[in-house]
Amino acid sequence: MLNNITLGQYYPADSIVHKLDPRVKILLLVALIVGIFLGQNLLSYVPVALFLFLAARLSKVPFSMLLKGLKPLRFILVFTFVLNIFFLQGETPLLNLGFAVIKTESVITAIHYCLRLVLLVLASSLLTLTTAPVTLTDGLERLLSPLRVIHFPAHEMAMMMTIALRFIPTLLEEADKIMKAQTARGADFESGNLLNRAKAMVPLLVPLFVGAFRRAGDLAMAMEARCYHGGEGRTRLRVLKCQKNDYLSCLIMALVILLIILCGKVY
Amino acid sequence: MQITLENVSHTYQPGSPFQSTAIRDVNLTIEQGEFLALIGHTGSGKSTLAQHINGLLKPTAGRVLIDGKDIHDKSFDKKEVRRRVGLVFQYPEHQLFEESVEKDIAFGPKNLGLSAEEIKIRVQEALEKVNLTQDGIKEKSPFELSGGQMRRVAIAGVLAMRPEILVLDEPAAGLDPKSREDMLQLIANLHRNGTTVVMVSHAMDDVARFATRAVVMEKGTVAMTGTPEEIFRHGPQLERMGLGVPAVCKMGMLLREKGIAFPENIFRQEQAAGALLALWKEGTHHAE
Amino acid sequence: MSEPIISLDHVSYAYEENGKEAVQDVSLAIPRGAFHAILGQNGSGKSTLAKLINGLYAPTGGKITVCGMDTQDEKNTWEIRRRAGMVFQNPDNQLVATIVREDVAFGLENIGVPTEEMPARIEQALRDVGMTEYADRAPHLLSGGQKQRVAIAGVLAMQPEAIIFDESTAMLDPKGRQEVFSAVQRLNREQGITVLWITHFMEEAAACQVAHIMHEGKLVSSGDPREIFKDTAALAPYHLDAPPMAKLAQELREAGMPLADGILTAEEMAQEVAKLCR
Repeated sequence: MLNNITLGQYYPADSIVHKLDPRVKILLLVALIVGIFLGQNLLSYVPVALFLFLAARLSKVPFSMLLKGLKPLRFILVFTFVLNIFFLQGETPLLNLGFAVIKTESVITAIHYCLRLVLLVLASSLLTLTTAPVTLTDGLERLLSPLRVIHFPAHEMAMMMTIALRFIPTLLEEADKIMKAQTARGADFESGNLLNRAKAMVPLLVPLFVGAFRRAGDLAMAMEARCYHGGEGRTRLRVLKCQKNDYLSCLIMALVILLIILCGKVY
Repeated sequence: MQITLENVSHTYQPGSPFQSTAIRDVNLTIEQGEFLALIGHTGSGKSTLAQHINGLLKPTAGRVLIDGKDIHDKSFDKKEVRRRVGLVFQYPEHQLFEESVEKDIAFGPKNLGLSAEEIKIRVQEALEKVNLTQDGIKEKSPFELSGGQMRRVAIAGVLAMRPEILVLDEPAAGLDPKSREDMLQLIANLHRNGTTVVMVSHAMDDVARFATRAVVMEKGTVAMTGTPEEIFRHGPQLERMGLGVPAVCKMGMLLREKGIAFPENIFRQEQAAGALLALWKEGTHHAE
Repeated sequence: MSEPIISLDHVSYAYEENGKEAVQDVSLAIPRGAFHAILGQNGSGKSTLAKLINGLYAPTGGKITVCGMDTQDEKNTWEIRRRAGMVFQNPDNQLVATIVREDVAFGLENIGVPTEEMPARIEQALRDVGMTEYADRAPHLLSGGQKQRVAIAGVLAMQPEAIIFDESTAMLDPKGRQEVFSAVQRLNREQGITVLWITHFMEEAAACQVAHIMHEGKLVSSGDPREIFKDTAALAPYHLDAPPMAKLAQELREAGMPLADGILTAEEMAQEVAKLCR
């Protein structure tokens, strides 16, 4: 019943983009987001779109996979667009609907916002599509580790994420089993109104939580037995090293940002 | 009541890259009153097969019939199937969720829409069937009980629905020798009192002791079926499948290899001593 | 003989929550390179004993020495856990990472092994348990027996002198049980790793050099498993069930058949019977 859920959206492939250092990829994403918000006009999104297009091509991720990430967004996009058309101020009337006058400026701004949203989602999808969750966690930990000075638990956060990734499939399997077991006792998870359905979840959720706590206790014991004592003095199997392509991609990103700023000045 | 599986196949996630066929073209009839053992090692499809018997899984090909009627037919009431065929999963204690033993056991009967008095009767009856009759146990939280007791509460939860067939997926897994023996005796008792039992197991000594018939699964198909006597005659074949044989059966195989005529049809502990003594006396007689 | 690698001297342990004594006055010694079993039903205190040896619990009475170190001295904790590793019961709940290789690395990372040294140690450990070809798999896709072997590799990579197995085969099917047990036997034989095998399977205990029986927190019997299992009636009060062949042998002896002592397996029985029936 629950076995259709695949975790994350990592698309394994052998590409330059996949091989980039996860830290660089995260930083590139952050830079691109800043770039998107720096954009003053529609023209300034062209370099962003070009960059994304190039990166997607190089990553060997099919465009259809990338666009799938936009699907859940379609209502928000329509909503944002409509809202902006009607409520933004403008001077040049474009269309008179009788009850409201749509202004050219507000249409442009609405397109502006929607484009931003689409580009943001595409950029972050590209990161998660080309980076395995573990690698991503690894990259985040290293990037955040300087913050330890101000007691930010970078290692602990990364460890929690790793454990979550490790146990999600196990817990899904368990949830599936419990659901079947309760169904065998006549439980009904699929019909009735919202309240009844919520109530029907109790026989699933309680054992699932009890089980998760039991596992957590076991795991903590096993980790301690394997000498785990926090991030201090820990070495790593995988060491991240920046290579030629990493530096190159940073350079390209700098160029993209420059172009965005230039595009803003053109008008 | 009789359950028939007709050319049943089941493929998980068909059409996806994770597609895998767990059982293929299985034909099997479960007769009223029998104690059927489903044997096979992990991944042989025996658990998938078990979940077809009460309609939890729908065959991707083939039909499951109760007394000749297809249970996946629109006119067939699913709840009726669940009531008549009880299914106990592996480690069933992991499905307990209520605050008291009584409430947990009542979950099934409640789902059947029974009256409060009837539920009370059912709970009491189920507790007696699993030998949990200590004072005050009904009010206890199931999470305070020992592992073996929790498992018995979980089984009581299924028994309270008064199933005609009880399907158990490795009911003794993970129990220590004493709780294990208690569990097996409990199941044998239920069988004696008229419940049809289907037990998934890979403990051959248990199969030898209790089953009236056994089905051996291998790679999703039925590899052998017959009485334990018929199955255990094929000891070497079972061993090739990576399945064990009862200790007595193994000993018999080894003796026959050494040229000693230990009868092929003996596989139970209690028959073995007599047979060996007879062989020994015969031997000493010849020597004299 | 050198001094024992693990020794317990009048050890007791009471749980803080209820004051119940889970282990009472247990003394035992395990020589370097030995393969010992601890047998007992659930609640006999055998798992508590394992956690005491590993320093996960501190004894409330007596003294435990592991590799010459007192477990109660906190500064020894990590060294003890490195030198006397532990494998637990539930195969699903002791692997941490999402890839087998990285899970084996977990312990090495914790004790600060330099990165360059890790790959070789990981490869070796995986080879020792026959899991090399699964190095890049996700643990949740492995069978129970395979998961347990990965857990063993994780301990092995830390180059321990002893490994404590806390019912590590209890949740496995016969095939998985066989896989794990023979892997451990090989480690003991070929690498001289001391094994403390906690179990309730008599067949496994029968294959060990020494069996210790725990009952209600006390150590009630220690010795050669063949000697211990010979008297099947004496095992009954501990709710342990002698192996089927030991019971059969006893029955035959009582009926006058002059069988040799110490029969535990079908092979041994067939051999003895063959001698008498020729």
